[in-house]
Amino acid sequence: MTELVTKIQEVLNEADVVLGWVHSAAAGAAVPAWFHNAVEAEAAVFDSTCVHNLAVHLPRLQDRTAGIVAKGCDIRSVVQLISEGQVRRDRVRIISVPCPGVVDVKKVWRCFGYGKKLIDAGGQVEMEGKTAPREEILLWKCRGCRDTAPLISDVVVGDPAGVAPPSPAERTGLRERFDAMTPAERRRFWQEQFSRCIRCNACREACPLCFCRDVCTMQTREPHWTGGQINAREAEMAQHIRINHLAGRCTGCEECERACPVGIPLMLLLEEQNRAVEKLFGYRAGTDPEAKPPLLVFDIDNDTWDSER
Amino acid sequence: MSGVKIIGLLCNWCSYAGADMAGTARMKQPAALRVVRLPCTGRVNPLLVLKAFQEGADGVLVSGCHPGDCHYNEGNYYARRRLELLAAMLPALGIEPERFRYTWVSASEGARWTEVVEEFTGRVEALGPRDGGAA
Amino acid sequence: MRIGVFVCQCGTNIAATVATRRVVEAALSMRDVFHGESIQYTCSDPGQRAIIDAIQQKNLTRVVLAACSPRMHETTFRRAIAQAGMNPFMLEMVNIREQCSWIHSDIDTATEKAIDLVRKGVARVRRQTPLHAGSVPVTRRALVIGGGVAGIQAALDIADAGVPVTLVEKSPTLGGNMARLDKTFPTLDCSSCILTPRMVEVKQHENIDLMVSSEIENVRGYIGNFEVDIRRKATCVIEEKCTGCMICEQKCPSRAPDDFNAGVGESKAISVAFPQAVPLVAALRKEYCRLFLKGRCSVCKKVCPAGAIDYEQEDRFVTERFGAIVAATGFEQFDWKKAYPSFGGGLYPDVITSLEYERMLSASGPTGGHIRRPSDGAEPKHIVFISCVGSRDESVGRPACCGVGCMYQAKQAILTKEHIPDSQSYVFYLDVRAGGKGYEEFVRRATREFGTIYVRGRVGKVYPRNGKLICMGTDTLAGHQVEVEADLVVLAAGLNAAGAAAGLARKLNISYDMYGFFSEGHPKLKPVETNTGGVFLAGACQGPKDIPASVAQAGAAAAKVVSLLSRAELETSPMVAEVNQMKCTGCFKCREVCPYGAIEEQELRGGRRVAHVIGSLCQGCGLCNVACPPAVIPLKGYTDNQLIAEVVEVLREPEPASSAGASAKAVEVAE
Repeated sequence: MTELVTKIQEVLNEADVVLGWVHSAAAGAAVPAWFHNAVEAEAAVFDSTCVHNLAVHLPRLQDRTAGIVAKGCDIRSVVQLISEGQVRRDRVRIISVPCPGVVDVKKVWRCFGYGKKLIDAGGQVEMEGKTAPREEILLWKCRGCRDTAPLISDVVVGDPAGVAPPSPAERTGLRERFDAMTPAERRRFWQEQFSRCIRCNACREACPLCFCRDVCTMQTREPHWTGGQINAREAEMAQHIRINHLAGRCTGCEECERACPVGIPLMLLLEEQNRAVEKLFGYRAGTDPEAKPPLLVFDIDNDTWDSER
Repeated sequence: MSGVKIIGLLCNWCSYAGADMAGTARMKQPAALRVVRLPCTGRVNPLLVLKAFQEGADGVLVSGCHPGDCHYNEGNYYARRRLELLAAMLPALGIEPERFRYTWVSASEGARWTEVVEEFTGRVEALGPRDGGAA
Repeated sequence: MRIGVFVCQCGTNIAATVATRRVVEAALSMRDVFHGESIQYTCSDPGQRAIIDAIQQKNLTRVVLAACSPRMHETTFRRAIAQAGMNPFMLEMVNIREQCSWIHSDIDTATEKAIDLVRKGVARVRRQTPLHAGSVPVTRRALVIGGGVAGIQAALDIADAGVPVTLVEKSPTLGGNMARLDKTFPTLDCSSCILTPRMVEVKQHENIDLMVSSEIENVRGYIGNFEVDIRRKATCVIEEKCTGCMICEQKCPSRAPDDFNAGVGESKAISVAFPQAVPLVAALRKEYCRLFLKGRCSVCKKVCPAGAIDYEQEDRFVTERFGAIVAATGFEQFDWKKAYPSFGGGLYPDVITSLEYERMLSASGPTGGHIRRPSDGAEPKHIVFISCVGSRDESVGRPACCGVGCMYQAKQAILTKEHIPDSQSYVFYLDVRAGGKGYEEFVRRATREFGTIYVRGRVGKVYPRNGKLICMGTDTLAGHQVEVEADLVVLAAGLNAAGAAAGLARKLNISYDMYGFFSEGHPKLKPVETNTGGVFLAGACQGPKDIPASVAQAGAAAAKVVSLLSRAELETSPMVAEVNQMKCTGCFKCREVCPYGAIEEQELRGGRRVAHVIGSLCQGCGLCNVACPPAVIPLKGYTDNQLIAEVVEVLREPEPASSAGASAKAVEVAE
């Protein structure tokens, strides 16, 4: 019986459900699971394939007391949801797990093939005899992680101080190319990217902060910011809606990009916005349950940007 | 006609009145601007700016009451934050930031309004029309 | 849906630059437009009649009116279409005058733009729904801020009409700047003789609640229903007990500057502002009081025969409701010292301001009405008056005229001669502006009867030499340098709004200019209104004014207030936000940004908590509309769909007008 299982079982004494992960032989990786009792909880695992941000389920569990196994970054989403009144602090039990970074499963599958068991050992990951340096297949958000220490938690598994955050990464590959583009090139880049969008709204479904769900204007098209056609133009406007609504709220969990079935690099835009929010307003979403999102407040004395660009 | 199209999003109380004052004083202006009247810059949804670009605007100009002077006390303070963030996002979205400007023109600043329109139109004309397609 | 498009020619104001007939033709090709007409003057009686007839004959359901600014005539035309039986809000005004014909010269460009704007208006009105105004009860009580002559006049006029008034004055007495003046131009009436009866009247008026030593702390609410927090400052004197005997002032050992006397002479830490003060009560200034500075004294308490001294007094706050507010906060003189080092920048005691001189002339002033040089107490024989110090002077960034300087300089020159018959006054002036009734004649008296020498030109430098002040300037008429040896130099320093005006403007949510003067609603047509409903202006807080102009404006403001408060209810704008509660996610971002506290939480059956807009509090700014992620709190009259349609349509390349399409609708183009 691992420490994680024991702690989940303890939390289940007062919670109706605990959100966590189990291993899936089919996927060769962890998949989310809802534990309702001690027996179910015995299957709980935490490893570097536990990529999902389980906070996405919390707003829909408001009528119950829910436990959640959460990485440091996931906790930021919980904090943001608490600060927006979508989750009640007294109804959630946070089981914090020490996280040395999680892998980009798409990258893994590209390297090793789908459905094989991944062995994460030290700096190397191994699958069916092939190995790769661990940092190379981590999610981008994990590189230079600032959230290894749990911001708030009720139950701590392991020693959060025992994990070292992965080193920050250079902006290589797509990010390097994107940085070098002119506005016109970026425009063509996005036209190409969004021409692949199938308007499935998986990005929105995966986002813990897109709690509007079925009344989201990306989908209702009322007001008529975007039409229902599946083309680059409408898809891009739909994404503008989501990005606009996440301004000052996005915790950068990368779930939207991970969920995208056609691989649109949405994080290029959200990272840009999060950087701008931090620079302009000194605010990182989900780091202070008392803080108000920066677009719902103003500061007469310090909001002194020069509008005359 | 210069061939560029500019959308102006103006608050009713200050900038729209300032533009009226410029008109009453017969201050000649470039004609590329089309003004949409709003109660307040706080009513300006950043999406409306992006929508304008997507629909083919070559520039978008937002203008309201000077900070401290908002008819609704606080509207332009919120607007300033929203629009500042929008401006920071434009390059990533593939829109030249020079095509967007937000500013403050009071009801008595007809001359300043004229200067703003001239400056911004000149700036957008220098960039030329945006090539077609999605924003 | 049947839309009528009316294009106003506004005589030639529009028609000279916009080909209105082409605009009508283009409009007729737009979707749902069933009538188009170009009218010479839509706002005229026959113009409005034509609109009403067209609505009734063609069963129009929406109207687009391409004419002047909606800020000019929206109300006129809403009324007109209401007469035709339509909902008044089914109107969209398209501004093709101020923002088209008047700012462009080329007919094709202006016409093309006008057509774009009409298309935008049609798109918007197509998405308009009928709106219905609500009403709110009016609080029948007025607040007047400032107890100078304007505030006094406004308060008395309102109170005489039977409306209760609260008059708030920050200093311990009524009177303001006028009470400081010795005589008034052009009649040389004694200023306090004509003012003090009015002050007493305020104090005794059954409808006036006078609050001196009080300031506005906070203003909430809106026209008809303001809620105002008033700070009643601690004066350590119980107003009801104090008899104004001034024994405390005589015995007080702590010296203090004399605010009422513009700093000329000295006062005490506890004092009555001046002998005719209303209310006649003492006030203690803690910052100068020995008891508060050193911990020992209490002389005033010991000597007060009325037992009116209370050192424990603290600022109190009262909150009252008002239906209307008059700001009458007056002016203060520009602090010239930093801007004019060439006049000594305050270094020479015998360079004083006109207001200081005024106190010196006053029989109740610190010198008992004797003109004395501050430096040595000697009677000056040569007095130089310098006009336009900090006014009409772009070199110090103050281009405006102070409006009263020329007149009071003439007055002071006359009074100087009366006080010291063997004296000689000089006035350095730029132009003598004496536009009022009897003003020009008065200035002539100063020169002809009283021998004042007027020198046209600026004084460049004032410097001391052998106990005199040398005023060096240019006589621009004679074209040479002049030097006048003066015993006393009096500066006509420019006028600013009172120092606290900007802060008050923010609380009242009204605008102000670079001098702090409050902005009127319209320079011609709304001279006493502001752009905030229910807030009116009286006196020099709106701009430099002499006494009759202040009194006249105060009377006008009072009339506006009385007319407003004569109504039991006020119509409220229906252009407010409204929540679609079925779709509300209960995130309350709307409540966070609402400046009016107009959004409350409501519980639906089933326990879901959603937002609700209190219609009477909502002012229609639209902040919530933008903050709401699912966009379910639309601002009526400015919905997202209306704005989107405007932007989309105005940017749309117009299809070539098909005459077939227009004629298919069987419409005629009337001229």
